[in-house]
Amino acid sequence: MAPKTQPNGSAEAPIEVSSTPTVVGINFGNSYASIAVLTKEGSADCIANEDGERQIACAVSFHGEETYIGNQAKHQLVKNSHNTITGFRNLLGKKWVPLVEYLLSFAGRVFSGRGKFSEVPQNEISVSAPVIQHPEIADEPAYKVQVLQAAPSPLPTTATNTPAASHAATPRSEPISVTRYLTPLEVTTIFLRSLIQSAEDFLGKKVTGAVISVPNWFSDAQKAALEKAANDAGVIVLQLLEEAGAVAVTTTTDVWQAQGVAQDRTQLIVDLGSSGLELALLSIRHGLAYTIDTLSDHTVGGDYIDNKLIKFFAKEFTKKTKTPLTVAPATETQDKRAEAKLRLAVEHTKRTLSASPGAATCSVESLKEGLDYTGTINRLRFDMEVRTIYDHVFTKVQELVARAGLDLFDVDEIVYVGGSASLPGLDETLAGGFSETVVTPFTAGTVVGGGVGDPTTILARGCALQASLLANLPETTEEEREVKSAFASGSNWTKASATGKTIGMLFPEDGAEGALGGQWVPALWKETALPARRTLRFDVDLGDGEGEKKVGFEVWEAKEGIKVETVKAGPPPLENADGEVDEDEEEEEEEEEVKERTVEKESFLAALSLVAKEGRKEKGRWKTTVEVQFLLGEDKSLSVTAWEIGKSGKGETVTLTVSA
Amino acid sequence: AHVTKLSIVPPPLKSDWSPPAPSGKAISPLVERKLLPAGPAYLAHVKRAVHKLTFEEHDK
Ligand SMILES: Nc1ncnc2c1ncn2[C@@H]1O[C@H](COP(=O)(O)OP(=O)(O)OP(=O)(O)O)[C@@H](O)[C@H]1O
Ligand SMILES: [Mg+2]
Repeated sequence: MAPKTQPNGSAEAPIEVSSTPTVVGINFGNSYASIAVLTKEGSADCIANEDGERQIACAVSFHGEETYIGNQAKHQLVKNSHNTITGFRNLLGKKWVPLVEYLLSFAGRVFSGRGKFSEVPQNEISVSAPVIQHPEIADEPAYKVQVLQAAPSPLPTTATNTPAASHAATPRSEPISVTRYLTPLEVTTIFLRSLIQSAEDFLGKKVTGAVISVPNWFSDAQKAALEKAANDAGVIVLQLLEEAGAVAVTTTTDVWQAQGVAQDRTQLIVDLGSSGLELALLSIRHGLAYTIDTLSDHTVGGDYIDNKLIKFFAKEFTKKTKTPLTVAPATETQDKRAEAKLRLAVEHTKRTLSASPGAATCSVESLKEGLDYTGTINRLRFDMEVRTIYDHVFTKVQELVARAGLDLFDVDEIVYVGGSASLPGLDETLAGGFSETVVTPFTAGTVVGGGVGDPTTILARGCALQASLLANLPETTEEEREVKSAFASGSNWTKASATGKTIGMLFPEDGAEGALGGQWVPALWKETALPARRTLRFDVDLGDGEGEKKVGFEVWEAKEGIKVETVKAGPPPLENADGEVDEDEEEEEEEEEVKERTVEKESFLAALSLVAKEGRKEKGRWKTTVEVQFLLGEDKSLSVTAWEIGKSGKGETVTLTVSA
Repeated sequence: AHVTKLSIVPPPLKSDWSPPAPSGKAISPLVERKLLPAGPAYLAHVKRAVHKLTFEEHDK
């Protein structure tokens, strides 16, 4: 793995860490979390916890006197499920009553607390600690777990202390079993504390602040609960950053731009996690980003991929061993346990499949009736098994883009986020529907080997970069404090007006083809927030004639669209062995849709003409270099200034203005 | 200021072209959006607004 291709990816510890300030970024998913720190070079990298994990399962498990956190805790789901807590993030800030209504809809089943009240039938998923109403705090849900607590030291013998009456009864070392009720907030505190501990162990320093990601649908109550949980864990929260915001930060850095994406672009975020799909369309304009539209769907995700995969392996197991095994859903206790084991095992299988197209194994010791199992699946076969999931994601993408009034061809870039989006089959399924020029981390080759495009690290890295930006903001003057407040949840500074039409230059041309009548150069794309400035530099052809030469253009608002043409593009007729054209083949000429972006002039604003004094002759033709600056004010007024760039520097300027 | 270099080379100006008079029209109606409070570009956007700076003043 060439290190130069992954300056912003996952780091192999030890990496060189920047000196000040000590802040971290935390991607806090419902199923997995990750932590990123800043490197000396100013980029961000995900770190591994002490168990070597970069994707840390959001699970807390109590076993006797031990508390397990992360993937170790998740493994407790097999034998110690009732003391193992998962899915707590999505219960943060929820009151008991609405929860009860939800629980009732699963009457008779055990609630595992997973998902954003996901549609996954709860009995398909590993059972975890039950959620009940807190016995002491009104209206609070709580997880009920059984833990062993160290016995209190033997009490001194006094006349008033009853237990002391029997000296030998409680041996000092015998811990006692107690029932503990933990609110989702308390579990989150335990979990976040462990994440911060991992970061501090890695950094060798105390963490002074963190930016934590939250889903865009998190309510104020949920955010407040998360912030409290973090504070209780001793973490200063610099910002709770919406996931799309974290993506925007990561994808507007120079390293990301180096993948060949434009500064002004429409970005589609495809986040496929465990329990759901989150889609977002962003307008990114020279780093300034906003959401155009979003879509959530909780009927697809890694859990559903697991269902398909464990069914596949269970069937193979039965074929091999003649031992019946029914999973997803399982009804018998033995099958349930086998299912829990398979669920844990396919994590590894999926990661192998994402990394390489070859065979990936799934191994389970004593899967059922003491029989060990090892099976394999390659990517081709796997993609077949999960085809419906890929297709479903594509359908949802089409739905979102259509709802936003756009075409798939309007999307310039796809960014994948979330563990399940690491599967190359998903990109292959989607990319086919987009323009050939669409940039994805898969086509750019930055996914594998912890490259910048790795979907599992994008959120945490964005949070870390954002944490660094916030930690370095000055706070001495009133104005500086006002600037800082613009990052707080619900700040009015996020309100912005944006252009509804693309504004650009039309260079009129003799004998131009088409209705435009010249060369179109867009300058301010539609969906650009005000105020905005764009400075473009390019060469202009001045022709081959002598005498005075001019550069001139008209400023227009344009209407963009997509032209769809159906062309006959069947495969060339197949020749049979005798060299004759096969008649049947010839008739089945296929029709193919060809899409093309189109531009039409819509509204003429003003024109500008500049005498070219700095022309240079290249291969018999005169050329000059110009810069044109578009300045769109907060008040909607537009000024366009042009000048030549010659040997002696910047030439005379000519300006046109379009008032508001 | 950030300068975007384009590879496009506009053709020689149409021979009988002279700049038409401005239409007097303003740009099309704007749309209301909510920025993501993230990244250096958002910081710059807010700084300019709070400190009441033009792009040029902010460049310094
Ligand atoms: N390399 C990989 N290839 C395929 N699947 C993976 C890979 N890494 C993780 N996963 C899967 O991705 C899922 C976890 O994704 P992620 O961490 O984004 O979830 P989350 O954000 O915590 O959950 P959610 O958003 O659904 O609440 C799990 O199903 C996991 O098995
Ligand atoms: Mg997620």
